[in-house]
Amino acid sequence: MSSTSTTKRLNLYEWFKTITFYEILVGMKATLSHLLNYRPVTLQYPHEKRTLPDNYRGMLALLRYDDGTEKCVGCDLCEAACPSRVIRVVSAEVPGEPTKRYAKEYYMDMTRCLFCGMCVDACPVDALGMTREFEWAVYDKRQLHLNKQQLLAIGDRSFPVREKRLELQHPNVAFFNVAFKHVPPKPD
Amino acid sequence: MTEFGLRLAISLTQIAAVMGIVVVTVLILTLAERKVLGWMQDRMGPMEVGPYGILQPFADAIKLFFKEDIIPAGANKFLFTMAPILCLIPAFIGFAVIPWGPSWTFEINGVTVKPFVISDINIGILYILAFASLGAYGIILGGWASNSKYSLLGGLRSAAQIISYELNVGLAIVGVLIMAGSLSIVKITDAQAGWFWEWFIFKMPAPQIFAFVVYVISAVAETNRVPFDLPEAESELVAGFFTEYSGLRFAFFYLAEYANMVLVSCVASALFLGGWHAPYPGTIMELVGLSSWSWIESTMWFAVKTYSFLFLFFWLRATLPRLRYDQLMRFGWKVMLPIALGNIVVTSIAVFLYNR
Repeated sequence: MSSTSTTKRLNLYEWFKTITFYEILVGMKATLSHLLNYRPVTLQYPHEKRTLPDNYRGMLALLRYDDGTEKCVGCDLCEAACPSRVIRVVSAEVPGEPTKRYAKEYYMDMTRCLFCGMCVDACPVDALGMTREFEWAVYDKRQLHLNKQQLLAIGDRSFPVREKRLELQHPNVAFFNVAFKHVPPKPD
Repeated sequence: MTEFGLRLAISLTQIAAVMGIVVVTVLILTLAERKVLGWMQDRMGPMEVGPYGILQPFADAIKLFFKEDIIPAGANKFLFTMAPILCLIPAFIGFAVIPWGPSWTFEINGVTVKPFVISDINIGILYILAFASLGAYGIILGGWASNSKYSLLGGLRSAAQIISYELNVGLAIVGVLIMAGSLSIVKITDAQAGWFWEWFIFKMPAPQIFAFVVYVISAVAETNRVPFDLPEAESELVAGFFTEYSGLRFAFFYLAEYANMVLVSCVASALFLGGWHAPYPGTIMELVGLSSWSWIESTMWFAVKTYSFLFLFFWLRATLPRLRYDQLMRFGWKVMLPIALGNIVVTSIAVFLYNR
Protein backbone atom coordinates (compact mmCIF):
# COMPACT_ATOMS: atom_id res chain seq x y z
CA MET A 1 0.00 0.00 0.00
CA SER A 2 2.84 2.31 0.83
CA SER A 3 4.48 1.61 -2.54
CA THR A 4 1.35 2.65 -4.46
CA SER A 5 1.05 5.81 -2.41
CA THR A 6 4.64 6.78 -3.20
CA THR A 7 4.13 6.24 -6.95
CA LYS A 8 0.86 8.14 -6.89
CA ARG A 9 2.28 11.01 -4.86
CA LEU A 10 1.84 14.26 -6.68
CA ASN A 11 5.13 15.17 -8.23
CA LEU A 12 4.96 18.92 -8.78
CA TYR A 13 7.41 18.85 -11.66
CA GLU A 14 5.57 16.05 -13.46
CA TRP A 15 2.29 17.77 -12.83
CA PHE A 16 3.59 21.00 -14.32
CA LYS A 17 4.87 19.12 -17.35
CA THR A 18 1.45 17.52 -17.81
CA ILE A 19 -0.63 20.69 -17.63
CA THR A 20 1.67 22.57 -19.99
CA PHE A 21 1.59 19.69 -22.55
CA TYR A 22 5.38 19.56 -22.31
CA GLU A 23 5.80 16.24 -24.14
CA ILE A 24 3.46 17.30 -26.92
CA LEU A 25 5.33 20.57 -27.33
CA VAL A 26 8.63 18.69 -27.63
CA GLY A 27 7.11 16.60 -30.41
CA MET A 28 5.70 19.66 -32.14
CA LYS A 29 9.09 21.35 -31.93
CA ALA A 30 10.62 18.31 -33.65
CA THR A 31 8.11 18.42 -36.52
CA LEU A 32 8.49 22.18 -36.88
CA SER A 33 12.27 21.90 -37.04
CA HIS A 34 11.84 19.43 -39.89
CA LEU A 35 9.56 21.90 -41.64
CA LEU A 36 12.05 24.74 -41.24
CA ASN A 37 15.11 22.67 -42.22
CA TYR A 38 13.29 21.18 -45.18
CA ARG A 39 15.54 18.55 -46.69
CA PRO A 40 13.35 15.97 -48.39
CA VAL A 41 14.65 12.46 -48.82
CA THR A 42 12.25 11.90 -51.71
CA LEU A 43 13.68 11.04 -55.10
CA GLN A 44 11.31 12.18 -57.88
CA TYR A 45 11.68 8.76 -59.46
CA PRO A 46 10.69 8.95 -63.10
CA HIS A 47 12.38 12.33 -63.43
CA GLU A 48 15.49 11.60 -61.43
CA LYS A 49 17.00 8.18 -60.81
CA ARG A 50 19.33 7.06 -58.12
CA THR A 51 22.81 5.91 -59.03
CA LEU A 52 23.01 2.15 -58.98
CA PRO A 53 25.80 0.38 -57.12
CA ASP A 54 28.54 -1.14 -59.27
CA ASN A 55 27.56 -4.70 -58.46
CA TYR A 56 23.89 -4.11 -59.21
CA ARG A 57 22.13 -7.26 -60.34
CA GLY A 58 19.50 -6.30 -62.87
CA MET A 59 17.91 -7.91 -65.91
CA LEU A 60 19.61 -11.03 -67.24
CA ALA A 61 20.98 -11.10 -70.77
CA LEU A 62 22.73 -13.46 -73.18
CA LEU A 63 26.03 -12.20 -74.57
CA ARG A 64 27.87 -12.49 -77.87
CA TYR A 65 31.51 -12.47 -78.92
CA ASP A 66 32.88 -9.53 -80.86
CA ASP A 67 32.32 -11.36 -84.13
CA GLY A 68 28.63 -11.68 -83.36
CA THR A 69 28.47 -15.38 -82.51
CA GLU A 70 26.64 -16.41 -79.40
CA LYS A 71 28.74 -17.26 -76.39
CA CYS A 72 26.33 -19.86 -75.08
CA VAL A 73 27.42 -23.43 -75.61
CA GLY A 74 24.20 -24.99 -74.40
CA CYS A 75 25.73 -26.77 -71.42
CA ASP A 76 22.60 -26.48 -69.20
CA LEU A 77 24.65 -25.50 -66.14
CA CYS A 78 22.66 -22.30 -65.68
CA GLU A 79 19.46 -24.29 -65.72
CA ALA A 80 20.88 -26.58 -63.06
CA ALA A 81 22.13 -23.68 -60.94
CA CYS A 82 18.90 -21.69 -61.01
CA PRO A 83 17.08 -22.03 -57.66
CA SER A 84 13.71 -20.92 -58.99
CA ARG A 85 13.74 -22.77 -62.31
CA VAL A 86 13.69 -19.65 -64.41
CA ILE A 87 15.84 -20.98 -67.21
CA ARG A 88 15.07 -23.65 -69.80
CA VAL A 89 17.74 -24.55 -72.32
CA VAL A 90 17.27 -26.78 -75.35
CA SER A 91 20.76 -27.76 -76.40
CA ALA A 92 21.68 -28.92 -79.89
CA GLU A 93 24.63 -29.68 -82.11
CA VAL A 94 25.87 -26.96 -84.36
CA PRO A 95 24.98 -28.18 -87.83
CA GLY A 96 28.07 -29.38 -89.65
CA GLU A 97 30.29 -29.19 -86.58
CA PRO A 98 29.71 -32.32 -84.51
CA THR A 99 32.03 -31.27 -81.68
CA LYS A 100 30.28 -28.04 -81.04
CA ARG A 101 26.99 -27.42 -79.31
CA TYR A 102 24.78 -24.40 -78.86
CA ALA A 103 21.49 -23.43 -77.24
CA LYS A 104 18.88 -24.05 -79.89
CA GLU A 105 16.23 -22.55 -77.64
CA TYR A 106 16.74 -20.56 -74.49
CA TYR A 107 13.86 -19.39 -72.33
CA MET A 108 13.77 -17.32 -69.17
CA ASP A 109 10.60 -16.85 -67.13
CA MET A 110 11.50 -13.53 -65.50
CA THR A 111 8.33 -13.54 -63.36
CA ARG A 112 10.07 -16.09 -61.15
CA CYS A 113 13.62 -14.78 -61.27
CA LEU A 114 14.97 -13.56 -57.96
CA PHE A 115 18.17 -12.04 -59.40
CA CYS A 116 20.54 -14.10 -57.29
CA GLY A 117 23.15 -14.27 -60.06
CA MET A 118 23.82 -18.00 -59.65
CA CYS A 119 23.33 -18.68 -63.35
CA VAL A 120 25.97 -16.07 -64.17
CA ASP A 121 28.35 -17.68 -61.70
CA ALA A 122 27.67 -21.12 -63.09
CA CYS A 123 28.26 -20.26 -66.75
CA PRO A 124 31.65 -21.66 -67.85
CA VAL A 125 31.93 -19.38 -70.89
CA ASP A 126 30.55 -16.16 -69.39
CA ALA A 127 27.63 -16.27 -71.78
CA LEU A 128 25.22 -14.76 -69.23
CA GLY A 129 25.41 -11.30 -67.84
CA MET A 130 23.40 -9.16 -65.47
CA THR A 131 22.62 -5.75 -66.89
CA ARG A 132 21.71 -2.60 -64.97
CA GLU A 133 18.17 -2.54 -66.37
CA PHE A 134 15.41 -2.68 -63.77
CA GLU A 135 12.42 -0.90 -65.31
CA TRP A 136 10.69 -4.04 -66.54
CA ALA A 137 7.15 -3.37 -65.34
CA VAL A 138 4.69 -4.68 -67.93
CA TYR A 139 0.92 -4.87 -68.19
CA ASP A 140 0.95 -8.47 -69.42
CA LYS A 141 2.88 -11.01 -67.39
CA ARG A 142 3.53 -13.08 -70.49
CA GLN A 143 5.81 -10.34 -71.77
CA LEU A 144 8.26 -11.39 -69.07
CA HIS A 145 8.62 -14.85 -70.62
CA LEU A 146 11.69 -14.14 -72.74
CA ASN A 147 13.15 -16.17 -75.55
CA LYS A 148 16.69 -16.31 -76.87
CA GLN A 149 16.31 -13.45 -79.34
CA GLN A 150 14.99 -11.11 -76.68
CA LEU A 151 17.73 -12.05 -74.23
CA LEU A 152 20.38 -11.51 -76.89
CA ALA A 153 18.87 -8.13 -77.73
CA ILE A 154 19.08 -7.08 -74.08
CA GLY A 155 22.70 -8.16 -74.04
CA ASP A 156 23.42 -6.27 -77.26
CA ARG A 157 22.06 -3.00 -75.93
CA SER A 158 23.59 -3.32 -72.47
CA PHE A 159 27.07 -4.58 -73.35
CA PRO A 160 28.28 -2.74 -76.44
CA VAL A 161 31.90 -3.72 -75.76
CA ARG A 162 32.21 -7.44 -76.43
CA GLU A 163 34.89 -9.94 -75.63
CA LYS A 164 36.99 -11.71 -78.22
CA ARG A 165 36.38 -15.37 -78.81
CA LEU A 166 37.69 -17.42 -75.97
CA GLU A 167 40.34 -19.19 -78.02
CA LEU A 168 41.69 -15.87 -79.30
CA GLN A 169 42.05 -14.23 -75.89
CA HIS A 170 45.23 -16.04 -74.83
CA PRO A 171 47.11 -18.95 -76.39
CA ASN A 172 47.13 -20.95 -73.16
CA VAL A 173 43.55 -20.40 -72.09
CA ALA A 174 41.66 -23.51 -71.18
CA PHE A 175 38.57 -24.05 -73.25
CA PHE A 176 36.49 -26.92 -74.29
CA ASN A 177 33.80 -27.90 -76.71
CA VAL A 178 35.18 -25.61 -79.36
CA ALA A 179 35.72 -26.44 -82.97
CA PHE A 180 39.21 -25.61 -84.03
CA LYS A 181 38.53 -24.33 -87.48
CA HIS A 182 38.11 -20.76 -86.20
CA VAL A 183 41.45 -20.88 -84.44
CA PRO A 184 44.19 -19.21 -86.37
CA PRO A 185 47.23 -21.42 -86.91
CA LYS A 186 49.73 -21.17 -84.15
CA PRO A 187 52.98 -19.51 -85.07
CA ASP A 188 55.78 -22.03 -85.43
CA MET B 1 -41.22 44.45 -52.98
CA THR B 2 -38.30 46.45 -54.31
CA GLU B 3 -36.82 46.65 -50.84
CA PHE B 4 -37.25 42.92 -50.41
CA GLY B 5 -35.71 42.33 -53.82
CA LEU B 6 -32.75 44.54 -52.94
CA ARG B 7 -32.22 42.76 -49.62
CA LEU B 8 -32.39 39.41 -51.38
CA ALA B 9 -29.92 40.51 -54.04
CA ILE B 10 -27.47 41.85 -51.44
CA SER B 11 -27.75 38.72 -49.30
CA LEU B 12 -27.30 36.41 -52.26
CA THR B 13 -24.22 38.35 -53.35
CA GLN B 14 -22.76 38.08 -49.87
CA ILE B 15 -23.60 34.37 -49.67
CA ALA B 16 -22.00 33.73 -53.05
CA ALA B 17 -18.88 35.63 -52.03
CA VAL B 18 -18.54 33.83 -48.70
CA MET B 19 -19.22 30.41 -50.25
CA GLY B 20 -16.64 31.15 -52.92
CA ILE B 21 -14.05 32.15 -50.33
CA VAL B 22 -14.75 29.06 -48.24
CA VAL B 23 -14.57 26.67 -51.18
CA VAL B 24 -11.35 28.25 -52.38
CA THR B 25 -9.97 27.98 -48.86
CA VAL B 26 -10.91 24.31 -48.77
CA LEU B 27 -9.17 23.78 -52.11
CA ILE B 28 -6.06 25.48 -50.74
CA LEU B 29 -6.31 23.48 -47.53
CA THR B 30 -6.40 20.09 -49.23
CA LEU B 31 -3.14 20.94 -50.97
CA ALA B 32 -1.62 22.79 -48.01
CA GLU B 33 -2.31 19.89 -45.67
CA ARG B 34 -0.53 17.39 -47.88
CA LYS B 35 2.33 19.78 -48.49
CA VAL B 36 2.84 20.79 -44.86
CA LEU B 37 2.49 17.21 -43.70
CA GLY B 38 5.02 16.15 -46.29
CA TRP B 39 7.49 18.86 -45.36
CA MET B 40 7.23 17.98 -41.69
CA GLN B 41 7.93 14.33 -42.49
CA ASP B 42 10.87 15.04 -44.86
CA ARG B 43 8.76 14.30 -47.92
CA MET B 44 7.70 16.59 -50.73
CA GLY B 45 3.96 16.17 -50.91
CA PRO B 46 2.24 16.19 -54.31
CA MET B 47 4.70 17.28 -57.00
CA GLU B 48 3.32 15.94 -60.29
CA VAL B 49 0.25 18.00 -61.21
CA GLY B 50 1.41 21.45 -62.24
CA PRO B 51 4.53 23.17 -60.94
CA TYR B 52 5.25 21.89 -57.43
CA GLY B 53 1.87 20.15 -57.49
CA ILE B 54 -0.21 23.30 -57.11
CA LEU B 55 -2.94 21.98 -59.40
CA GLN B 56 -3.43 18.84 -57.29
CA PRO B 57 -6.78 20.01 -55.75
CA PHE B 58 -8.26 20.42 -59.23
CA ALA B 59 -7.03 16.98 -60.26
CA ASP B 60 -8.60 15.54 -57.09
CA ALA B 61 -11.86 17.38 -57.73
CA ILE B 62 -12.06 16.13 -61.32
CA LYS B 63 -11.26 12.59 -60.22
CA LEU B 64 -13.92 12.61 -57.51
CA PHE B 65 -16.44 14.14 -59.89
CA PHE B 66 -16.05 11.42 -62.49
CA LYS B 67 -15.84 8.47 -60.11
CA GLU B 68 -18.62 5.93 -60.08
CA ASP B 69 -21.19 6.62 -57.41
CA ILE B 70 -21.70 3.30 -55.61
CA ILE B 71 -24.56 2.60 -53.24
CA PRO B 72 -23.81 -0.68 -51.46
CA ALA B 73 -26.35 -3.48 -51.45
CA GLY B 74 -28.44 -3.43 -48.31
CA ALA B 75 -27.83 0.26 -47.70
CA ASN B 76 -30.69 2.51 -46.80
CA LYS B 77 -30.76 4.49 -50.04
CA PHE B 78 -32.56 7.55 -48.72
CA LEU B 79 -30.37 8.03 -45.66
CA PHE B 80 -27.25 7.05 -47.59
CA THR B 81 -28.00 9.85 -50.04
CA MET B 82 -29.02 12.31 -47.35
CA ALA B 83 -26.04 11.84 -45.03
CA PRO B 84 -23.38 13.73 -47.05
CA ILE B 85 -25.77 16.64 -47.56
CA LEU B 86 -26.66 16.63 -43.85
CA CYS B 87 -22.96 16.79 -43.15
CA LEU B 88 -22.17 19.49 -45.69
CA ILE B 89 -24.94 22.01 -45.04
CA PRO B 90 -24.25 22.56 -41.30
CA ALA B 91 -20.57 22.96 -42.11
CA PHE B 92 -21.25 25.76 -44.58
CA ILE B 93 -24.22 27.42 -42.93
CA GLY B 94 -22.26 28.54 -39.89
CA PHE B 95 -20.28 31.05 -41.94
CA ALA B 96 -23.39 33.23 -42.15
CA VAL B 97 -22.69 34.84 -38.77
CA ILE B 98 -18.91 35.14 -38.96
CA PRO B 99 -17.71 38.76 -39.32
CA TRP B 100 -14.87 38.85 -41.83
CA GLY B 101 -14.06 42.52 -41.53
CA PRO B 102 -14.91 45.76 -39.75
CA SER B 103 -18.52 46.16 -38.63
CA TRP B 104 -19.32 48.93 -41.05
CA THR B 105 -22.82 49.68 -42.22
CA PHE B 106 -23.97 51.67 -45.17
CA GLU B 107 -27.33 52.32 -46.75
CA ILE B 108 -28.47 51.53 -50.26
CA ASN B 109 -31.96 52.95 -50.99
CA GLY B 110 -32.86 52.80 -47.30
CA VAL B 111 -31.61 49.21 -46.85
CA THR B 112 -28.92 48.86 -44.17
CA VAL B 113 -26.08 46.68 -45.44
CA LYS B 114 -23.33 45.13 -43.34
CA PRO B 115 -20.77 44.23 -45.97
CA PHE B 116 -18.58 41.86 -43.95
CA VAL B 117 -21.16 39.67 -42.26
CA ILE B 118 -24.04 37.97 -44.02
CA SER B 119 -26.39 38.10 -41.07
CA ASP B 120 -25.64 39.66 -37.70
CA ILE B 121 -28.15 37.70 -35.64
CA ASN B 122 -28.04 38.26 -31.89
CA ILE B 123 -27.61 34.55 -31.07
CA GLY B 124 -24.79 34.01 -33.55
CA ILE B 125 -22.60 31.69 -31.51
CA LEU B 126 -25.56 29.62 -30.36
CA TYR B 127 -26.58 29.23 -34.00
CA ILE B 128 -23.12 27.93 -34.91
CA LEU B 129 -23.11 25.46 -32.01
CA ALA B 130 -26.59 24.22 -32.93
CA PHE B 131 -25.65 23.56 -36.53
CA ALA B 132 -22.35 21.98 -35.60
CA SER B 133 -24.33 19.49 -33.54
CA LEU B 134 -26.60 18.79 -36.50
CA GLY B 135 -23.50 17.94 -38.52
CA ALA B 136 -23.03 14.91 -36.27
CA TYR B 137 -26.28 13.47 -37.68
CA GLY B 138 -24.75 13.34 -41.12
CA ILE B 139 -21.85 11.31 -39.80
CA ILE B 140 -23.98 8.98 -37.70
CA LEU B 141 -26.57 8.41 -40.42
CA GLY B 142 -23.86 7.93 -43.03
CA GLY B 143 -22.29 5.30 -40.81
CA TRP B 144 -25.57 3.55 -40.14
CA ALA B 145 -27.02 3.68 -43.65
CA SER B 146 -23.92 2.15 -45.29
CA ASN B 147 -24.76 -1.34 -43.97
CA SER B 148 -21.10 -1.90 -43.13
CA LYS B 149 -19.63 -2.73 -39.74
CA TYR B 150 -16.74 -0.33 -40.14
CA SER B 151 -19.01 2.54 -41.07
CA LEU B 152 -21.31 1.76 -38.17
CA LEU B 153 -18.41 1.66 -35.71
CA GLY B 154 -17.12 4.94 -37.09
CA GLY B 155 -20.54 6.53 -36.82
CA LEU B 156 -21.04 5.34 -33.25
CA ARG B 157 -17.62 6.54 -32.21
CA SER B 158 -18.26 9.91 -33.74
CA ALA B 159 -21.63 10.16 -31.97
CA ALA B 160 -20.02 9.63 -28.59
CA GLN B 161 -17.06 11.84 -29.39
CA ILE B 162 -19.05 14.76 -30.76
CA ILE B 163 -21.48 14.72 -27.82
CA SER B 164 -18.59 14.73 -25.35
CA TYR B 165 -16.65 17.47 -27.01
CA GLU B 166 -19.57 19.69 -28.13
CA LEU B 167 -20.19 20.16 -24.44
CA ASN B 168 -16.64 21.34 -23.84
CA VAL B 169 -16.76 23.71 -26.81
CA GLY B 170 -19.97 25.20 -25.49
CA LEU B 171 -18.67 25.55 -21.94
CA ALA B 172 -15.33 26.98 -23.04
CA ILE B 173 -17.13 29.71 -24.93
CA VAL B 174 -19.28 30.72 -21.94
CA GLY B 175 -16.42 32.66 -20.33
CA VAL B 176 -16.12 34.80 -23.45
CA LEU B 177 -19.86 35.34 -23.51
CA ILE B 178 -19.83 36.49 -19.87
CA MET B 179 -17.09 39.01 -20.62
CA ALA B 180 -18.61 40.27 -23.87
CA GLY B 181 -22.17 40.25 -22.56
CA SER B 182 -23.53 39.17 -25.92
CA LEU B 183 -24.07 36.10 -28.10
CA SER B 184 -23.62 38.00 -31.36
CA ILE B 185 -20.19 37.33 -32.84
CA VAL B 186 -20.08 40.85 -34.28
CA LYS B 187 -20.54 42.33 -30.78
CA ILE B 188 -18.05 39.88 -29.27
CA THR B 189 -15.46 40.92 -31.84
CA ASP B 190 -16.16 44.62 -31.32
CA ALA B 191 -15.56 44.18 -27.58
CA GLN B 192 -11.96 43.19 -28.33
CA ALA B 193 -10.85 46.38 -30.11
CA GLY B 194 -7.53 47.95 -29.18
CA TRP B 195 -4.19 46.42 -28.33
CA PHE B 196 -3.77 42.68 -28.39
CA TRP B 197 -4.14 42.43 -24.60
CA GLU B 198 -7.76 43.44 -25.15
CA TRP B 199 -8.35 40.12 -26.91
CA PHE B 200 -10.39 37.78 -24.75
CA ILE B 201 -7.53 35.33 -24.47
CA PHE B 202 -5.51 37.96 -22.53
CA LYS B 203 -8.17 40.45 -21.43
CA MET B 204 -8.46 41.44 -17.77
CA PRO B 205 -10.11 40.72 -15.38
CA ALA B 206 -10.31 37.09 -16.45
CA PRO B 207 -7.92 35.99 -19.25
CA GLN B 208 -9.57 33.14 -21.11
CA ILE B 209 -6.33 31.28 -21.77
CA PHE B 210 -7.56 27.99 -20.24
CA ALA B 211 -10.85 28.30 -22.04
CA PHE B 212 -8.89 28.88 -25.24
CA VAL B 213 -6.84 25.71 -24.75
CA VAL B 214 -9.99 23.74 -23.97
CA TYR B 215 -11.68 25.21 -27.02
CA VAL B 216 -8.81 24.37 -29.36
CA ILE B 217 -8.53 20.79 -28.13
CA SER B 218 -12.27 20.26 -28.25
CA ALA B 219 -12.45 21.86 -31.69
CA VAL B 220 -9.86 19.42 -33.00
CA ALA B 221 -11.90 16.60 -31.50
CA GLU B 222 -15.15 17.98 -32.88
CA THR B 223 -13.85 18.17 -36.43
CA ASN B 224 -12.60 14.56 -36.18
CA ARG B 225 -9.01 15.50 -36.84
CA VAL B 226 -5.84 13.80 -35.65
CA PRO B 227 -5.22 13.04 -32.77
CA PHE B 228 -8.98 12.62 -32.23
CA ASP B 229 -9.78 11.01 -35.60
CA LEU B 230 -11.32 7.89 -34.11
CA PRO B 231 -14.45 8.05 -36.31
CA GLU B 232 -12.32 7.63 -39.43
CA ALA B 233 -9.33 5.83 -37.91
CA GLU B 234 -7.84 4.45 -41.10
CA SER B 235 -5.72 1.83 -39.39
CA GLU B 236 -8.70 0.36 -37.54
CA LEU B 237 -11.87 1.16 -39.46
CA VAL B 238 -10.72 1.46 -43.11
CA ALA B 239 -12.11 4.99 -43.38
CA GLY B 240 -14.75 5.02 -40.64
CA PHE B 241 -18.14 6.42 -41.46
CA PHE B 242 -17.40 7.13 -45.14
CA THR B 243 -15.89 3.74 -45.95
CA GLU B 244 -18.68 2.90 -48.40
CA TYR B 245 -18.87 6.31 -50.03
CA SER B 246 -17.34 7.15 -53.36
CA GLY B 247 -17.36 9.86 -55.95
CA LEU B 248 -19.28 13.03 -55.30
CA ARG B 249 -20.77 11.87 -52.00
CA PHE B 250 -17.31 11.17 -50.65
CA ALA B 251 -16.27 14.62 -51.88
CA PHE B 252 -19.14 16.10 -49.86
CA PHE B 253 -17.87 14.48 -46.66
CA TYR B 254 -14.37 15.63 -47.46
CA LEU B 255 -15.56 19.17 -48.16
CA ALA B 256 -17.60 19.17 -44.95
CA GLU B 257 -14.62 18.11 -42.88
CA TYR B 258 -12.46 20.91 -44.22
CA ALA B 259 -15.26 23.49 -44.07
CA ASN B 260 -15.74 22.51 -40.43
CA MET B 261 -12.06 23.08 -39.82
CA VAL B 262 -12.31 26.54 -41.37
CA LEU B 263 -15.45 27.34 -39.38
CA VAL B 264 -13.91 26.25 -36.10
CA SER B 265 -10.81 28.30 -36.83
CA CYS B 266 -12.92 31.35 -37.70
CA VAL B 267 -14.88 31.02 -34.45
CA ALA B 268 -11.68 30.62 -32.44
CA SER B 269 -10.09 33.71 -33.97
CA ALA B 270 -13.30 35.74 -33.64
CA LEU B 271 -13.97 34.76 -30.03
CA PHE B 272 -10.52 34.54 -28.49
CA LEU B 273 -8.08 36.35 -30.76
CA GLY B 274 -9.94 39.54 -31.58
CA GLY B 275 -11.39 38.50 -34.95
CA TRP B 276 -10.55 41.05 -37.59
CA HIS B 277 -8.86 43.42 -35.12
CA ALA B 278 -5.16 44.00 -35.62
CA PRO B 279 -2.93 43.52 -32.55
CA TYR B 280 -2.58 47.32 -32.40
CA PRO B 281 -5.37 49.92 -32.13
CA GLY B 282 -6.88 50.99 -35.41
CA THR B 283 -5.19 50.14 -38.68
CA ILE B 284 -2.08 51.29 -40.52
CA MET B 285 -4.25 52.16 -43.52
CA GLU B 286 -6.08 54.77 -41.43
CA LEU B 287 -2.79 56.25 -40.25
CA VAL B 288 -1.60 56.79 -43.82
CA GLY B 289 -4.96 58.31 -44.71
CA LEU B 290 -6.54 55.43 -46.63
CA SER B 291 -9.31 54.76 -44.12
CA SER B 292 -11.70 53.52 -46.85
CA TRP B 293 -9.19 50.74 -47.62
CA SER B 294 -8.62 49.73 -44.00
CA TRP B 295 -11.01 46.80 -44.45
CA ILE B 296 -8.30 45.05 -46.47
CA GLU B 297 -5.96 45.15 -43.49
CA SER B 298 -8.70 43.96 -41.15
CA THR B 299 -9.71 41.03 -43.33
CA MET B 300 -6.06 40.14 -43.77
CA TRP B 301 -5.62 39.98 -40.00
CA PHE B 302 -8.66 37.73 -39.79
CA ALA B 303 -7.21 35.51 -42.52
CA VAL B 304 -3.83 35.37 -40.78
CA LYS B 305 -5.43 34.27 -37.50
CA THR B 306 -7.64 31.70 -39.19
CA TYR B 307 -4.84 30.27 -41.28
CA SER B 308 -2.53 29.97 -38.29
CA PHE B 309 -5.21 27.86 -36.67
CA LEU B 310 -5.47 25.71 -39.75
CA PHE B 311 -1.69 25.35 -39.68
CA LEU B 312 -2.00 24.20 -36.08
CA PHE B 313 -4.39 21.47 -37.27
CA PHE B 314 -1.78 20.23 -39.77
CA TRP B 315 0.98 20.56 -37.23
CA LEU B 316 -0.90 18.44 -34.70
CA ARG B 317 -1.64 15.88 -37.38
CA ALA B 318 2.04 15.62 -38.28
CA THR B 319 3.04 15.20 -34.64
CA LEU B 320 0.54 13.24 -32.62
CA PRO B 321 -0.65 9.63 -32.76
CA ARG B 322 -4.30 8.77 -32.31
CA LEU B 323 -5.79 8.55 -28.82
CA ARG B 324 -7.28 5.33 -27.56
CA TYR B 325 -11.04 5.42 -27.17
CA ASP B 326 -11.09 5.32 -23.34
CA GLN B 327 -8.36 7.97 -23.23
CA LEU B 328 -10.49 10.17 -25.46
CA MET B 329 -13.52 9.82 -23.22
CA ARG B 330 -11.56 10.22 -19.99
CA PHE B 331 -9.78 13.29 -21.33
CA GLY B 332 -13.03 14.87 -22.46
CA TRP B 333 -15.07 14.26 -19.33
CA LYS B 334 -12.49 14.22 -16.56
CA VAL B 335 -10.03 16.88 -17.72
CA MET B 336 -11.60 19.24 -20.24
CA LEU B 337 -15.03 19.48 -18.62
CA PRO B 338 -13.81 20.45 -15.09
CA ILE B 339 -11.41 23.01 -16.56
CA ALA B 340 -14.19 24.57 -18.64
CA LEU B 341 -16.58 24.61 -15.64
CA GLY B 342 -13.90 26.07 -13.37
CA ASN B 343 -13.22 28.72 -15.97
CA ILE B 344 -16.87 29.72 -15.97
CA VAL B 345 -16.90 30.06 -12.18
CA VAL B 346 -13.68 32.06 -12.07
CA THR B 347 -14.73 34.31 -14.94
CA SER B 348 -18.13 35.00 -13.42
CA ILE B 349 -16.65 35.94 -10.05
CA ALA B 350 -13.92 38.06 -11.64
CA VAL B 351 -16.33 39.93 -13.91
CA PHE B 352 -18.76 40.44 -11.03
CA LEU B 353 -16.06 41.90 -8.76
CA TYR B 354 -14.54 43.95 -11.59
CA ASN B 355 -17.84 45.59 -12.52
CA ARG B 356 -18.74 46.60 -9.00
